[in-house]
Amino acid sequence: MATEHETHNWAGVLKLGVTERNGRSVAKSQYHEGALRILRPHYLDASGQVTYTAINPGGAYFGADRYLLDLKVEQGASLLLTTQSATKVYKTPQGPAYQEMTVNLGPGAVFEYVPDQLIVYREGAYKQRTLVTMDPTASLVMSEIITPGWAPDGSSFKYQELRMRTEIRVTGEGGDKRLAVDQLRLKPSELGDIRGVGLMEGHSHTGQLLLADARIDDALYDELAAMVEGSNTLSGITRAGRDAHGVHCVAVRSLANSTADIAQLHQDIINLTRKTWRYQAKLDLRKH
Amino acid sequence: MVNTSLASMLGMMQLTDSALPTGAFSHSLGFETYMHREELEDEASFSAWMRMFVEQQLTYTDALAIRMVYAAHSFDDVADLDELVTAQALPQQIRDGGITMGKRLLSLASASYPSEWADAYAAGVADGSLYSHQAVVWGVIARDLEVPVDEAVASHLYATVISLTQNAVRAIPLGQNTGQRVIRAAQEWIARAVEESAALDEEDLGAIAPGLEIAQMQHERQRARLFMS
Repeated sequence: MATEHETHNWAGVLKLGVTERNGRSVAKSQYHEGALRILRPHYLDASGQVTYTAINPGGAYFGADRYLLDLKVEQGASLLLTTQSATKVYKTPQGPAYQEMTVNLGPGAVFEYVPDQLIVYREGAYKQRTLVTMDPTASLVMSEIITPGWAPDGSSFKYQELRMRTEIRVTGEGGDKRLAVDQLRLKPSELGDIRGVGLMEGHSHTGQLLLADARIDDALYDELAAMVEGSNTLSGITRAGRDAHGVHCVAVRSLANSTADIAQLHQDIINLTRKTWRYQAKLDLRKH
Repeated sequence: MVNTSLASMLGMMQLTDSALPTGAFSHSLGFETYMHREELEDEASFSAWMRMFVEQQLTYTDALAIRMVYAAHSFDDVADLDELVTAQALPQQIRDGGITMGKRLLSLASASYPSEWADAYAAGVADGSLYSHQAVVWGVIARDLEVPVDEAVASHLYATVISLTQNAVRAIPLGQNTGQRVIRAAQEWIARAVEESAALDEEDLGAIAPGLEIAQMQHERQRARLFMS
């Protein structure tokens, strides 16, 4: 059986389906297995959005282990997914640690993904693959902060390879269309240097944020660009993606020397979209 | 009548000539941002940038895209690649540049080297269902010309390196001899890109390091610009 085979292959599985009931988003289905769990839900503001916190009781992703997150946000529901603490990837001699995430967003659904930073330690390799399938009226924000770990000799950046791929597809007449594919690849160059031109450029942290929403317009984009320029990071912002059933996409990528500088920029961006689109209160991730 | 391999070589030389009017002379593909930061001022810094660019974008996007055209079973696969290569180019100027240069190459090439796929590609671009990208277009034409895949990859990468170097010689500026030394050195990097790209698969398409992509994004908001990307 294919499903049984898949289940046995995962070191951790987390499945969550969120639906809207009388203005509040609630879990309709929830399943976890192995090294992924979820904390009880919180309502951080008056919007009815439900916040879930994923936790990894093992404290780290291990080599060759595969982790699956499967999320569904139904019509009109809103989910904020965060983590309890940083995701750590240590030495992975068995092969890269791997996370796969699938996200399905129904009409008018909102999904905000704001995990803690990913830390890849010495000789660690990590691969992440995310597929979002959204209705044209859904709203998406996904952020990541990646920080290098330490090495015993005091130097950082000794990891083997880091890969993150996020594909956003929009459903509609005539079938799904790819809106954007975001790819990050960090690997020390042939010269063995990951700090150099084109790569980390002397910085220790990198971040990325994707917005997908049909309501992104020039006025919002200009405000976002001003935030990017005013931030304490070396960042770029762009209108990413192609025409996909009327949904627009913005990508922000950053280099910085602290997690906090990137987190601040991401939070400012998320808060602006909340205010502009939903009159929703500012993001306040009280960690429980 | 010239024989097949000679015909394919001459076709390849025409379409990967840096003088081919695709508009490549107006794109820096990110190096102008480094110029603006005063980080590209001599042979050493430009060589390091070019080597990185070959390892990054030219290996993971252009080289792989050409290989995917050669691996295509039908034109539907090419159409899907056209969508993927467009969707993965996040920086707007890189995406638009790929489309603009792709359209020019497609119109030049499909007139001189018509084939079933080139015609289908041109028709798709004309009716708005396809975007075009210079590597994908070149892959379609080269495959039809029966250019061996490694040569198709190498010639496209080499043409891109030569165009970028000529642009850098004008803009930084660098001496003409310096430019030629960079081009000569790049042959080794291109050979590695040809080899490495052969081991990649579809999901690798567009994988890129953060610094280069940020520079390509920042170019949009740079005030004084010589180049369109």
